[in-house]
Amino acid sequence: MNAFNKSHPMFDAKSSHVIEEPIIQIEHLVKSFGDNKVLTDFNLTLHRGENIVVLGRSGCGKSVLIKCIVGLLNYDSGSIKVYGSEVRDLSQKQLDELRSKIGFVFQSSALYDSMTVGENLEFALRRHGKKLSVQEVDALIRETLDNVGLYHAKDLMPSELSGGMRKRVGLARSLVLKPLIMLYDEPTTGLDPITSKEISNLMLQMQLKYHTSSIIISHDMHCAEMTADHMAIMIDGICYAEGSFEELKNSKDQKIKSFFE
Amino acid sequence: MSAFASRFFREVLFPPYEFKEVIRQCYAIGNKSLGLVGITAFIIGLVLALQSRPTLVEFGAESWLPAMVGISIIREIGPVITALICAGKIGSSIGAELGSMRVTEQIDAMEVSGTNPFKYIVVSRIIATTLMIPILVIIGDAIALYGAFLAVKMKGAVSFTLYFHQVFESLEYTDVMPSFIKSFFFGYAIGLVGCFKGYFSKKGTEGVGKSANSAVVVASLLIFIIDLIAVQITEFLGLI
Repeated sequence: MNAFNKSHPMFDAKSSHVIEEPIIQIEHLVKSFGDNKVLTDFNLTLHRGENIVVLGRSGCGKSVLIKCIVGLLNYDSGSIKVYGSEVRDLSQKQLDELRSKIGFVFQSSALYDSMTVGENLEFALRRHGKKLSVQEVDALIRETLDNVGLYHAKDLMPSELSGGMRKRVGLARSLVLKPLIMLYDEPTTGLDPITSKEISNLMLQMQLKYHTSSIIISHDMHCAEMTADHMAIMIDGICYAEGSFEELKNSKDQKIKSFFE
Repeated sequence: MSAFASRFFREVLFPPYEFKEVIRQCYAIGNKSLGLVGITAFIIGLVLALQSRPTLVEFGAESWLPAMVGISIIREIGPVITALICAGKIGSSIGAELGSMRVTEQIDAMEVSGTNPFKYIVVSRIIATTLMIPILVIIGDAIALYGAFLAVKMKGAVSFTLYFHQVFESLEYTDVMPSFIKSFFFGYAIGLVGCFKGYFSKKGTEGVGKSANSAVVVASLLIFIIDLIAVQITEFLGLI
């Protein structure tokens, strides 16, 4: 466990705050693709300052869940409220406004491969309608890339970056907009254990620096152990179990135990 | 695809306008295809003149060669060959690029970052192909006519001025305009099909390959269909 785990005083301080302010509320969420019912009755609540790790087997619908939260996918029924607003009922303008508060780190990093690292960040900044001068944009890009330790790679193309560097740039691109909520889609997948640990640490550092709340989709137990304040286990399209890492680890339920073996 | 096409017209009319991206795409599409279009047009012009000459000589109509070559190139061969070359080069490139962007979630990332990916990626590319194909057709026609001139010159003494004088004397407004107008439709079809196939690419590298491939096949087929319709309209209007 690193210095930012749940026993850290900062997190204890936050946890009292947590219960008062739910910022994402998911209730009875149902999502199907044709006959394939991916989410059957999913419930989850994210509170301010909290890191929730959603664990689940590959293909169980974890990525679908966070894509529904940002409106990339429409859900069939149920409710997703972000800051009290039902995502499905938002107009395109309202949805764009909401998205400016949410940072999304894609599994594949999803860097625009025709742009340099710096341009990737600049694109995100220019697109959210914030009127910024060239100097302000440069300063923000510098600050954000410095935070992930990649300012030297500003002029590199995504194809010239390693897997770990791509993840960092993906994280920086989300953070440059100073979001209030971070959604991570398997941030450590495909990385070696050392780089994976670095990314997990970076996520925690960024959370402390930018005061974000996060939903982290993962099946990496080390990442979950390092980053989770709270965990949810997704099985058969429902939130099968919730609790702290230790609580779930010590569970007697065979389905839950199988994740920790 | 018709829903995709009508969405293009909806999105192209309303702001925000992606001028920078349109200009970037125009430059990329025009610049990338110019060499290939130029070489192909030159060879087509040269071969057309070389192949046609013996028959015209047989009928004692060799002096008609510049006029025949000019009309053939301007009315039909120039626009269709240029469009087919561009369907292969640009259509496949757009299909593969957008397919790859879909597979690597770049289109989703764009949407999350508050950008309308349809407007930024699709509309800009379709506008660029619609504007650039006619320009490439004009350049291709000019190069093909020059290639034909070299072929004529190889076989007999004819000056550059006389050759082009004969070419332009035989051409009428009704030869040039219909082919120029149909080349806009060729450009639109190439952009539309490439974007449609790429935008809805199936997951995986196989999906990207299929998108690129079917973009070329469908765009080529559409070019012939548009050409057929254009000929019918031209005939109906009494322009042939």
